[in-house]
Amino acid sequence: MVVDSQLMSFFTAGSLIVIGIFAALFLDNLIKKIIGLAFLGDGVNLFIITMGYKPGGIVYIFLPDMTISNFAQTSAYPLPFALVLTNIVIGASTLAVILGLVLILNKRHGSLSASKILRDKGE
Amino acid sequence: MIEYVLMIITVLGAIIALMQRDLLKAAILTGIPGVSIAFLFQYLLAPDVALTQAIVGSAIVPVFIAITVLKTRKTEEEIK
Repeated sequence: MVVDSQLMSFFTAGSLIVIGIFAALFLDNLIKKIIGLAFLGDGVNLFIITMGYKPGGIVYIFLPDMTISNFAQTSAYPLPFALVLTNIVIGASTLAVILGLVLILNKRHGSLSASKILRDKGE
Repeated sequence: MIEYVLMIITVLGAIIALMQRDLLKAAILTGIPGVSIAFLFQYLLAPDVALTQAIVGSAIVPVFIAITVLKTRKTEEEIK
């Protein structure tokens, strides 16, 4: 391949982050803002996973017929993977909390549009 | 070769999910980037992260957003 797959994965993570920030800033609907924030979290996870990737390496599982020096040279770096595993679950739970806040906003103002909710201050 | 297809599906799926006018379609289409990112994690030598992301990205996040859309849609129809 002419283009490195690790570099293309970095570009994918960067474009997901840009799409998420664009949606959270410029779209008017609250649900679409939250979908954009979920994409932003996915992009950050993909960026950190790509930093631990080693091209042509193996999965970080030590099988009995490997030597230790060979395993240390060819396996991927396992620390970011163990931390991203926590980050995915925390992202899902914070998404649930944000959606609960949107339900409260919708019950109080009767709308999902951010500009309409901001204009509705006098209630 | 499969990883380039997955990266293109990820970016296009994110853009298509944000372009929908119906919010329920947008909530269900959110699962497409989640699943393709899970396969991409498997390619990037992280199988445990791929298992977690496959469940969270394909089932939990779209279902949460769809439940919120259904609850708010009912109140909007009552007000109109």
